Amino acid sequence: MRFETLLFKEIVILPELFLGISLVYLVLHCTFLAIQKNYPLIQRSILNLGILVLFFLCYLLLNDGLEVLELSSLNNTLINDYVSFSSKLVIGSLSIFCLLMIQPYIINQKINQFEYILLILFAVLGLFLLCSSNDLLTAYLAIELQSLAFYVLAAFKKNSTFSVDAGIKYFILGAFSSSLFLFGASLLYGITGTINFEEFKDLFLYFSSENLSHMTFFNVDIIKFALIFILISLFFKLAVAPFHTWAPDVYEGSPTASTFFFAVVPKLAIFVLLLRIFYYSFYGFFDSWRYFIVIAVVLSIIVGSFGGLEQRKLKSLLVYSSISHMGYALIAFNAGTFESIQMLFCYLIIYSFSGLCIWSIFLLTRLKTNYLQKHNKDLTDLVLLGKSNYMLAIFFTTVLFSVAGFPPMIGFLVKISVFLTAIESSMFFVALVSILCSVIGTFYYIRLIKIVYFEKVLVGKLYYPITKQSAILISLLFFFLLFLFVNPTLLYLFSYKFSLLVSTSI
Amino acid sequence: MSGVQIPLSLKKMIINILFYLFSTILLLSSFMVIFVQNSIYSVLFLVLSFISSAGILFLLKCEFLALMFIVIYVGAIAVLFLFVIMMLDLKTTSLIKDTLKYFPFGTLIGGVFLSEILLVVDETFKSNPYSNSLLSNFHLNWIDKIDTFTEIQAIGQVVYTQYVLQFLIAGNVLLLATVAAVVLTINTDKASDKKQIIFKQLSRNYKNVLII
Repeated sequence: MRFETLLFKEIVILPELFLGISLVYLVLHCTFLAIQKNYPLIQRSILNLGILVLFFLCYLLLNDGLEVLELSSLNNTLINDYVSFSSKLVIGSLSIFCLLMIQPYIINQKINQFEYILLILFAVLGLFLLCSSNDLLTAYLAIELQSLAFYVLAAFKKNSTFSVDAGIKYFILGAFSSSLFLFGASLLYGITGTINFEEFKDLFLYFSSENLSHMTFFNVDIIKFALIFILISLFFKLAVAPFHTWAPDVYEGSPTASTFFFAVVPKLAIFVLLLRIFYYSFYGFFDSWRYFIVIAVVLSIIVGSFGGLEQRKLKSLLVYSSISHMGYALIAFNAGTFESIQMLFCYLIIYSFSGLCIWSIFLLTRLKTNYLQKHNKDLTDLVLLGKSNYMLAIFFTTVLFSVAGFPPMIGFLVKISVFLTAIESSMFFVALVSILCSVIGTFYYIRLIKIVYFEKVLVGKLYYPITKQSAILISLLFFFLLFLFVNPTLLYLFSYKFSLLVSTSI
Repeated sequence: MSGVQIPLSLKKMIINILFYLFSTILLLSSFMVIFVQNSIYSVLFLVLSFISSAGILFLLKCEFLALMFIVIYVGAIAVLFLFVIMMLDLKTTSLIKDTLKYFPFGTLIGGVFLSEILLVVDETFKSNPYSNSLLSNFHLNWIDKIDTFTEIQAIGQVVYTQYVLQFLIAGNVLLLATVAAVVLTINTDKASDKKQIIFKQLSRNYKNVLII
């Protein structure tokens, strides 16, 4: 009798294995470097090492090409299909961009510990595992890995009260929502005796709202109950409206580089998990869980649009914007058709990349004032950016227009397709409310543009010059978004195969 | 097996009595954790609730988990809690006002949720045929009759084979926790380094303590 732990057929987790092993190596390497005499500053080298690791990770992912096989490995606890492959690819490239853009911030703010990059890499490992997890246990562990890293990233500036406060808040609410997830998962296990998504699918594939009443061996209500708990816990992680109250405080208080990371990167992975649970495993219960999502959608769009009007800080404005965007993404999630899933991924990808662009500009406009450590921008800190840095202002304006959903931009295309999916699945009320609120939400984007260009002041603010690397990157991002407007077919092709995930269940 | 053979019905009765005893202690002590004003007492009640749940786990033949409860929760975490609470020197005032303020709303929400959970769980898990007799907590594990494993053996057999990836992820979580703890506590700043200066410490007496 032989027990093999890792076989060749488990080659599909090679990228994750690579990341995990290189994390251990990085810990050793940096520890030995950092305890040398004089405590040398290794933040720049560790940053570049982290980028290198992520680059190799993406390369390994692209290189093996195993996603066509749809292998599920390690006793069916991991699945490696197209959804996990491409969401991992997006997450990997987002985090590479993220690491590249936070480099000046880390050096300016004197975040000297090398662990900052390690924590980000840990979070990326958690997100990767989350994307390909195929049972509740793996998903839970991956969520924990990712969010534990985020708590520490939020509390990283130990001498700032705001940062520590944000970390504690994030930790307590994250632990609370994880416990809800565990409660729902244990109920599911108690009823069905399995935690595997594929087995859930086999059990409940032929359920529909008509034949639910014929189930005699157990009460179906308890499954809805468990599903709602899981839904609430994942909504906590996404900061969707009734569960969003932690988000403005945490995002405001934590260091900007951390906020950048957890505002942009993790949403896609959590949506992949939501898809796997609710579309792949429990599609039969579609009619019962979609009402709860409708409530969350309407609330979060309203909160995101009206809450943002009051904000004076750029960070919290972006938080409210992200809350309303999660609402729009959930509209597509809620519609339940092939197109809606495709549009969900289009929307999330565009949301992530334009978020990347806005946050990068936010990090790059560093004020020449005497309080160097302050990086919590008021809206007025961007006044007359159009005069002092012309190109950056143009980039900023264009991306804001795209996020707000103005017609020529890619943001408009994805937003209108989300509304179309809502109308196609007869959610007229939701579509009406969200379109109206989207108009209201446009106000604060336009106010930003007004501050950048048309403010009636004689003296604007001055900024430090941008490094060549950041300038190239931000232009690349900007032209990528422009290119997607010229040729959106690329995006639609990329996201079309996502919708095939649910082809077995719909 | 040697010695006195305990009759089966007596055995079941003892198990039942022990189960009700432990669960009563567990419920009461968990209530006390919330309602007691002094936080040290509260942690001690937490320890009591851990111990009684370990007892229940023993009755359910989960020896390993029960021992882990005692070793980890009682031995490490609760003691750490006690340590922190004693160091923090918390004041126990103005709790009643807050309790009264939030009591009606909290009870409403909690009551609604509790009744829903009880309702739905009660409807689902009622397949125990002994549920009305004294034997309700007894079940015959047929696998035990054929082949006996200790629980740790059973866990060990799946952890390193079936759930090897989950085991590795858990290891990664631990590594992350270690790194995080080091980050949040280490102080590389040399100026504010709290070094022990033995001479200063020895030459300290009660007269010059208050002079700064």
